[in-house]
Amino acid sequence: MKDKIILRVLTLFGVALAVLVFVALAAIRNINRATAGSDWVNHTHAVIMEADALQSAYHAGDGALRTFLLTGDPRDLAATREAFGEMSEHFEVVKALAKDEAAHAPKFARLQVLFTERMEFAREVIAAREKNDAGTVRRLLAASAGNEAAQEINRLIEKLQLAERELLTARDKASYLQAQTTRWTVFSGLIINFLLLGGAAWLIRDDIAARKRAAALLGEANATLEARVRERTAELVTSNAKLLAENQERKWGNQALEHQLRYNQLIINSITDLVVVLTKMANVSRVNPAVTQWTGWSAAELINQPLLRMVRLKPPDGDSGPATADPISLALRTGREIHEQPAVILAKDGREAAARLSMYPLRDRDKVVGAVVTIHILTNPV
Amino acid sequence: MKKHILAIDDEAEIRDLLAEVLTGKGYRVTTASSGAEALRIGKTEPLELIISDLQMEDADGLELIEQLLQLQPNVPTMLLTGVLFDHEVVRDNISKKVSCYIEKTVPLTKILSEIERLIGGP
Repeated sequence: MKDKIILRVLTLFGVALAVLVFVALAAIRNINRATAGSDWVNHTHAVIMEADALQSAYHAGDGALRTFLLTGDPRDLAATREAFGEMSEHFEVVKALAKDEAAHAPKFARLQVLFTERMEFAREVIAAREKNDAGTVRRLLAASAGNEAAQEINRLIEKLQLAERELLTARDKASYLQAQTTRWTVFSGLIINFLLLGGAAWLIRDDIAARKRAAALLGEANATLEARVRERTAELVTSNAKLLAENQERKWGNQALEHQLRYNQLIINSITDLVVVLTKMANVSRVNPAVTQWTGWSAAELINQPLLRMVRLKPPDGDSGPATADPISLALRTGREIHEQPAVILAKDGREAAARLSMYPLRDRDKVVGAVVTIHILTNPV
Repeated sequence: MKKHILAIDDEAEIRDLLAEVLTGKGYRVTTASSGAEALRIGKTEPLELIISDLQMEDADGLELIEQLLQLQPNVPTMLLTGVLFDHEVVRDNISKKVSCYIEKTVPLTKILSEIERLIGGP
């Protein structure tokens, strides 16, 4: 989407630039044409003015000639010569100015003939007048086509001027049209460019608005994400703290348990009497070090063996009957205690010793699960 | 200024765990592994609470507490022990010598709440 907008904007700018270049070129071309037109207009005015001056000079010369013919004054003669001289100059100038206009060539050719004839006539009549030859003067004047020639000269010059003025008018029109065209071209170019730039600005504005919306959405999304991250971090911190506390509690519990077990073991191990733990079936499940030290049996040899392996019970004091293991089994079944019953302790190597046996049931939640037997040795082994 | 607790126990695991937990709660904790070390600390640093084990290699916890109280009277004391005494023994005897008797088998949270009861927060 973003790329399309950029492409469109670039296209609009490209077109606007092209329009600008076109308008500039058109304006430059029109300005050049206008400049050329202006030069031509000046040229045309120059032709008209020279034609005018030519006509004036001719009339002045003609007039001065007539005055001289009347007065014979050298000053009039000088004026005649000066006027005709100017006429020749003006004729040459106007011919030079209009040399590229083929339509005027016949006119100039005719004028050339007429001026030449007139100049010839003027020379002859002046010569005659200078000689005071009035007769020749009259003859020449009668023969000359002075008025007709003058009219024809006037007509030709006026035609020339008219033609130039018509050209001027045509050129004015063309120049006006060109100026209008240039004006419209520039205005149209400006309007088109404004529209194009406006379109580009609209697209850019649209794009900027879209980007702002996207940025706002992104900002919101970021804020939401940050809030979630903070929330989650807080949860993790709490969870970690809880885990740490649980871990510490577990360690503490393990330490306490281990300490208690170790302490209990120390107590039992330091008892000098023989201590035997029995199961409900009257088998040995545990012995203290005093048992292994005195009997010579290892714990492994005694564990899970009946107590009778190392103890022989005698009848209680005052009882003359034979001793049996029944009291222990009976006491285990009924949960009764046995206190200081006579017994004989048997070592692995055959030694025997008199002892006193006591038994205390082990209760786990009021259930008898075994018993603790303590055996106090009365004499050294025999 | 953080409250200063002296924890005395000859078992390193117990000392380290107590220090970790109490430091985490914001207290300043000094540990001692023996009675002699504890007395050295008691002579030089002011204490807000003394926690002591009962059975140590070079000291009896109750006697050690008495000696420390001579150096810093009125400091609350806690006997933290693995030896399980009879309730009557605790009531009639031990409770008269220490501010608090507590067994190591109770949860840490209980120990912490007792400490807070004796000296408040950090």
